[in-house]
Amino acid sequence: MQYMVEASGLVKTYKRPDGTEIEAVKGISLNIQKGEIFSLLGPNGAGKTTTISMISGLIKPSKGDAKIGGYSITKEAIAAKRLMGVVPQEIALYPELSARRNLEFFGQLYGLNGKELGKRVDEVLEFIDLSDRQKDRVDTFSGGMKRRVNIGVGLLHRPQLVYMDEPTVGIDPQSRRRILDTVFKLRDEYNMTVLYTTHLMEEAQELSNRVAIIDHGQIIALGTQGELTQQVGEEDRLLFKVGTQTIADALLKNVETTVESVTRALYDAPSQTTDNGGETIPGMITVFAKRGRKALPHVIRVLNEADIEISSVEVREPDLEAVFLHLTGRALRD
Amino acid sequence: MRNILTITLNDLRVFFADMGNVAGLVVLPVVLTLILGIATGGGGDNTVRLRVDFLDLDNTPESAQVLESLRNTNASLYFCPVDDGEETNCRLEDDETLTLELAQQRVRDGISEALIVIPAGYAEKLQTFEPVAIDYYSLADAVSGDIVLTALDAAVLEVNGAIVAAQVGVQIGDNFDPESDTPIFEDDATRAEFSQKVYDRATTYLAQQPLTIQYVVNQEVVENEISAATAGFGQSVPGQGSTFVMFTVMGGLFILIRERKQATLQRLVIMPITRAEILAGKALTYFTLGMIQYMIVFIVGVFSGMDFGDAPFAIFLTMVAFVVCIAALTFALATRISTEGQANGVSLLLSMTLAPLGGAWWPIEITPPIMQTIAQISPVYWAMSGFKEVIFYQGTLTDVLVPVGVLLAAAVVLFWIGVRGFKYG
Ligand SMILES: Nc1ncnc2c1ncn2[C@@H]1O[C@H](COP(=O)(O)OP(=O)(O)OP(=O)(O)O)[C@@H](O)[C@H]1O
Ligand SMILES: [Mg+2]
Repeated sequence: MQYMVEASGLVKTYKRPDGTEIEAVKGISLNIQKGEIFSLLGPNGAGKTTTISMISGLIKPSKGDAKIGGYSITKEAIAAKRLMGVVPQEIALYPELSARRNLEFFGQLYGLNGKELGKRVDEVLEFIDLSDRQKDRVDTFSGGMKRRVNIGVGLLHRPQLVYMDEPTVGIDPQSRRRILDTVFKLRDEYNMTVLYTTHLMEEAQELSNRVAIIDHGQIIALGTQGELTQQVGEEDRLLFKVGTQTIADALLKNVETTVESVTRALYDAPSQTTDNGGETIPGMITVFAKRGRKALPHVIRVLNEADIEISSVEVREPDLEAVFLHLTGRALRD
Repeated sequence: MRNILTITLNDLRVFFADMGNVAGLVVLPVVLTLILGIATGGGGDNTVRLRVDFLDLDNTPESAQVLESLRNTNASLYFCPVDDGEETNCRLEDDETLTLELAQQRVRDGISEALIVIPAGYAEKLQTFEPVAIDYYSLADAVSGDIVLTALDAAVLEVNGAIVAAQVGVQIGDNFDPESDTPIFEDDATRAEFSQKVYDRATTYLAQQPLTIQYVVNQEVVENEISAATAGFGQSVPGQGSTFVMFTVMGGLFILIRERKQATLQRLVIMPITRAEILAGKALTYFTLGMIQYMIVFIVGVFSGMDFGDAPFAIFLTMVAFVVCIAALTFALATRISTEGQANGVSLLLSMTLAPLGGAWWPIEITPPIMQTIAQISPVYWAMSGFKEVIFYQGTLTDVLVPVGVLLAAAVVLFWIGVRGFKYG
């Protein structure tokens, strides 16, 4: 079977202004099958956008190549680009122009014109549910509406393959729900192949046929969800949000040794979100246990004895988050 | 080609969606061109002194008298070669003497507004009351020639009046016997009879018009003079035009950086089009905006009655070359600039230095020679020299080939720098 995307040995090295080099992507190879939703899951800075940029022809790989429907993105760029629609992470629209004008312009560059162009623009506006606002300037739109236009541009020419780079960032839950439904629709009704990147475990989990987990520019796990969660066994995870308190290693050791069925206890210190929002993510203790619900009251008791205030507790069954944690020792958090 | 046009049209749509851009393109350039055009002579009633060649082949007090009368009737005329000086430059070479032939050529070339020739033997003929004519040369429909002619008419009238008075005086003198003691007039009747006699005689002489003007109008060369409107706007229209073309086209830097920031440039790169098409689309945008800017300012010139010379295509070619050169400069700068602040600073700095340096704000001729040499690094200098060649010196296509060539050569180099280092992301 021919793959929709075949990336082999992609490497991207950036030069920093101070002259040092940073290897943002360190040799990524992956194949995406026709008609599947494939997710790239990884934390901020993992190299997701850099990877998409290389396989969409925006930047040149330092090493390696990718084939899109059999066409090399470096050597047969135009043919390869015709097959793909791209939804960039940033909103890439002309704010001074109306939604319709934006769609028409990019549609023309995809080779559409005349009646055909008008028809496709109408369809897309319908699809992203903005027909009634099509004449309004994009800069009068809400964030969610802009996101939808941004997606619409990538669908104008009915591509076989769609790249969506974190299309749900910074929007409300309703709009997010809508976009996720859209992704399913693209696969199920339009037979498109979707490459979806996200740093949200839930999204990857809900959408994907297959997932590649990426960290520090490398794929650390790839497969269906079943295949991936099997790697971490049957352990549950107990999550305790503990605010800004400091947690001693001794305490974690204590949990591991005194509570039955617990195999590991980890601590993630509180941190600042990378967005300029400046919101603090509270510190979190993660406890792995073979029977989570049974171990829960005992762990709480140990923490109470150490005077740790717990602001919330959650029990999670094996999921992609657990896989990431298992492989990297860090939590994949939003 | 279609993709290039699509990109350009879209860029223009974005540009004109902002009323601020439209105002920048029209209001300030038009106002400044008008103000400067009027201030430097375009208003019409400033004292432009007209150069008139005066060839005195007689060299007598009588012939000098004609010149004196001319001066009295119109102070704005000055006469060559006698008046040659700092402010009243005759445009004669050092060792050149004004011959009749040279003087005639000067009229045809528009160097002098008119030529007045006092023939040899002028004084003698006047004294013997023989008819004599002053030769007058000017171009067929030169307005300034009419001014000279009016002055000459008045001067001749004055000279004729003097001759008539002299003739009458002589005749009357003949009627008297200087030795006689008898009173001149015996009675009132005699007196009246005498007065009548003087009057009749004077009228007869005046009707005879001893001194006339012989017009030698040259039909071949038309309209060679620089009107006051052209003097003022001929500087301010191309000058302000070029200045604002720089502003507008280099404003393209700002557009480009915003496109990088709003990621639409990156979006263009992932479209199934070539990078050459993207660059050409942007270049065509700059070119179109630059030409629109020139047209707006030159229309001010048209309405101010300035004379653009006889080679509109040469002017057009100079515009094209300058706009292409500045568009190329913009591309070259874009490789070094990454923020909107830098873009604004650089385009302001460069327009504000290259424009006056190149002679856009005042005639380059009034600056010291060393400045005129340095000025040649400014593209504005070459554009202005092309425009002036046509507007002031009746230049044609061949006369603008050098400035156009220099501008295009610079454009090739700058484009090369810009295209090689173009940053898409
Ligand atoms: N133009 C660039 N110059 C230098 N370094 C860069 C450049 N672009 C990205 N990087 C670095 O490469 C790494 C990967 O960035 P990338 O944008 O691919 O991450 P990401 O997975 O998309 O993250 P996010 O979830 O925040 O979008 C980061 O460390 C980033 O700082
Ligand atoms: Mg990203």
